Amino acid sequence: MKALVEYLVKAMVDHPDKVLLAQRTQDQSIHLELSVAPDDMGQVIGRNGKTIHAVRTVAQMAAASKDCKCRLELLG
Amino acid sequence: MPTQEFEGKSLEEAIQNACDAFHLPQEQLDIEILSKGSSGIFGIVGARKARIRATPKETPLDAASQRAKEVLAEILKYVDVPTVVEAEVREECVYLNIVSNGSGLLIGKRGKTLNALQYLVNKIVSREMGKNVPIVVDTENYRSKREGSLTELALQLSEKVKKSRRPLTTGPMNAQDRRIIHLALKEDQDVRTKSKGEGTMRRVVIYPVKKSKGHSSSVAEAKTSA
Repeated sequence: MKALVEYLVKAMVDHPDKVLLAQRTQDQSIHLELSVAPDDMGQVIGRNGKTIHAVRTVAQMAAASKDCKCRLELLG
Repeated sequence: MPTQEFEGKSLEEAIQNACDAFHLPQEQLDIEILSKGSSGIFGIVGARKARIRATPKETPLDAASQRAKEVLAEILKYVDVPTVVEAEVREECVYLNIVSNGSGLLIGKRGKTLNALQYLVNKIVSREMGKNVPIVVDTENYRSKREGSLTELALQLSEKVKKSRRPLTTGPMNAQDRRIIHLALKEDQDVRTKSKGEGTMRRVVIYPVKKSKGHSSSVAEAKTSA
């Protein structure tokens, strides 16, 4: 799950090297904490949070295919 | 893309030469006319050749479709469902079809997941290409099925509006869905449609059109009396 979010986020930011992801796994749920360069926050969030919602939706779908749950938080 | 100059006895001939040189139809060339040329008198005196500058229009759609396919396949690699992505260029837009096992997982509630995939692929590819490329992500013909059911909904609502003579509103819809409603009722003279609301709450309102008896004829009368 981490790899998927990492791929998506790195493909849409100006500073892929500043993308940091921490993963915590608890039973069947994966908790991801994402941080990006301050300039890239807007890119990752999108208008009305559209982008981050789409990333969450896709991450949840990928997790569901493995019978897991996924939470993604953007730290700013 | 290389720009080249071409000559011909007439404009048509010059364009034809350009098309032959690039092996492209005229529509795919950007043509700048340098000199229209003239046949002169009897084609002898003062005949000038037509000169044009032609540049093949970028056809980035093929490149975009290739890239979009890669991006989508990369995303789906992390999903534990067997998938194959097919790409084609259809009506000026990139159409990606996911062949899968038929579970609704990739579609999600009301296409939520499919739309998220489409949005992300669009964002990533458009960013790389430096311009917006329309990309449609589909699976199991979901898009055309959805179009069918939305068109049906639009027709049902418009019937209600015509009977009650009161406007009706659809539920909140995204831009593509609203577009389908608008297009479904475009030809209907008895109702008109308008989008209302902001952001994700935007809806389509269907209004009845008041039948002003022969609006055009009253104009005609006004003209004759004047």
